[in-house]
Amino acid sequence: MAKNPVGKNAVFDVCIVGSGAGGGTLAAHLAHRGVKVAVVEGGPVVNTRTDFNTHALPSDYPNRHIPTMKDGKYGYGSERARGVGGKTMLWNAVALRFSQRDFKGYTIDGAGADWPIDYLDMAPYYERIEREVGVCGNHDGLTDLPDGIFLKPPPLKRGDLLLQRGGKKIGIPIIHTRKATLTRANHTRPACHYCGNCMAGCDVAAKYNSADVHLNPAMKTGRLTVFSDSIVREVMVSKENRATGVRYFHRVTGEEGEIHARAVAVACACIQSVGLLLMSVSSLYPQGLANSSGQLGRNFIPHFNSGVTGFLTEMIGQPVVNDEGFIDHAYLPSYMHAQTRDYARSFGVQVYTGISRTTGWAREVPGFGVAYKQRVKERFPAYVTFQCFGEMLANAQSFIQLDPIAKDEFGLPRVKATAVQGENEHKIYDAMTKAAVDLLQESGGEVLSVSDFKVPTFNHQLGGCSMGSDPRSSVVDKYCRTHDVPNLYVVDGSVFPSSSEKNPTLTIMALAARTADHLGDRLRKGDV
Amino acid sequence: MKNRREALKIIGAVGVTCAFPFSANELYGQHVSPEPMAAGQAVAPGAPFTPGFFTAIEFQVVSCLADLIIPSTETPGAVAAGVPEYVDLVVTHDQKLQRIFREGIPNLDAVSQSRFARAGFLELTEAQQVEILTSLQDAAEQKRIAREVVVGGDAAFFNALKSLIADGYYTSRVGLLQELGYNGNDYLAAFPEFRIAEH
Repeated sequence: MAKNPVGKNAVFDVCIVGSGAGGGTLAAHLAHRGVKVAVVEGGPVVNTRTDFNTHALPSDYPNRHIPTMKDGKYGYGSERARGVGGKTMLWNAVALRFSQRDFKGYTIDGAGADWPIDYLDMAPYYERIEREVGVCGNHDGLTDLPDGIFLKPPPLKRGDLLLQRGGKKIGIPIIHTRKATLTRANHTRPACHYCGNCMAGCDVAAKYNSADVHLNPAMKTGRLTVFSDSIVREVMVSKENRATGVRYFHRVTGEEGEIHARAVAVACACIQSVGLLLMSVSSLYPQGLANSSGQLGRNFIPHFNSGVTGFLTEMIGQPVVNDEGFIDHAYLPSYMHAQTRDYARSFGVQVYTGISRTTGWAREVPGFGVAYKQRVKERFPAYVTFQCFGEMLANAQSFIQLDPIAKDEFGLPRVKATAVQGENEHKIYDAMTKAAVDLLQESGGEVLSVSDFKVPTFNHQLGGCSMGSDPRSSVVDKYCRTHDVPNLYVVDGSVFPSSSEKNPTLTIMALAARTADHLGDRLRKGDV
Repeated sequence: MKNRREALKIIGAVGVTCAFPFSANELYGQHVSPEPMAAGQAVAPGAPFTPGFFTAIEFQVVSCLADLIIPSTETPGAVAAGVPEYVDLVVTHDQKLQRIFREGIPNLDAVSQSRFARAGFLELTEAQQVEILTSLQDAAEQKRIAREVVVGGDAAFFNALKSLIADGYYTSRVGLLQELGYNGNDYLAAFPEFRIAEH
């Protein structure tokens, strides 16, 4: 991946901004179809095998703070992820299919928004991605969480089994989580070896990252060029209302350049994609590119989290077994649609049991002295964390915008995202927190800490370039093409019109594969 | 069914940001210096050490408190694990903690005088020190049960002290590997199968 291997005047079929789950998948699928692709990535080429502090322990650092990257490596751990591979380098790899209930939330629940596509539109693309990247999971036969093409999942941990048994008593399901991590080697990547460092850069690439699984193999087609360390400041649009390419500068040298293409796809992660379009003002689009509806940046709907921690009594004082695994092995899927409840939409819970290097909970254990020390030691194998994810409904106070004053280190406007939780979010928050507490107590456990709605945390940034059939109320159509500019696409979590409670990455990848088919066909027909 | 919320007993805190077991760069010790540091700069326990924030006497008090909170047993305690040095490092970079310690340590001496007629905390017997620490803990516990926001005083001092010492100890090699017996971060050919009784 040379920095600038082609002349500035080279014209590509498609120029993609961003190289993560969305951009990486789109680029590879297009290149394999015969399309000439440029990927423009703001950060450097990073090697998941060598560049991260994957196996460090906190005690290696006097302040116990493990830097994400090795000394002198740029890319992650600062304000935003920059590097070829995007956030897939550090994600936890949870890979869940959305269900028809997720795509048709408004029709089914009377709240949220319908997608202009159905589960059946997406199913073939979910399948294609699962076969391509390798997803492990169990066939559970759940309506709200469709099964896929799965590798065998790793066994549940002892703590997961105790929670599964407890949950049966009160109708709360605990299943194997589903992750884009190989549990069996394929011809290019080894199987997971359960070192527990998935989110510190998997140094064997058993876990999916877009560089190893999508971009590097696609380079072999000869049709993919990656411009690394190239920060895009503007998507250019002609007077004839066509996207013509991007204007960028080199991250280190500041040298300016342009890349021209027959179509442009923005895929630099939700908030930054919206920011780039808002920065791309022109006489045709004074309020930001593809923003004739005024909807760009609206409908910001990240997941919101609650958390519960505690201990499983049956495991207190048990011998320590290395059950760190690939972090969380169990998942509490959405199960409440069939139940009477006082809120719309749903939640899901990532369930973390087993030993971990994260010992911040010890400070919450009561007492001091010999008894305290003993109490912590006994509880080490018994520690449980529930990380609950709720679906947020769009509201007028939650949006993405450019900061009118503050600039980043490159002089570009800072992008600000604001999310405000409403009444429905409060109800979901209480319900999902209660579900985790109930599950722990039914499983024979003690509650250590419970998070508070007043201190919200958000995860999985979604929305801002909402997908819909009406150009007056949405930014992109069902193929992720902007309503305003017929050769401009947005391919990441920003297009989600509703967020589901499920981790979004598999859906982002499936959307990218679907967009690749659509855009590839258009290019072949000479329609772009 | 009894209302479980009413019956809910929480050992720790409500409203804390949970320490999710993310293995990236966050939440190993929840007080972290914002400045990245290179590996291997830690001072070996027992080696000559000049505190960045504490005076020599204050550092002795912190060391004494560290071993009261996590004493040496079959495994080394907080002082032998280098925790006082960690506390000094964090407090050096945190003005809020500096205020808490600059108020809390003299208070210990004041209580030592009023309750036991000794010049300072370091001159008390261990039993007397434990008694004072217990009253600090009680102050913190009352605030916790009442779900009051702690802004200063004994409760803030105890919470800061215990959190720093627990964080420092259980992220140290001694605390994590020797005391807790952490044996992960390893290569497994296969993940073990577990069984539990079906009841």
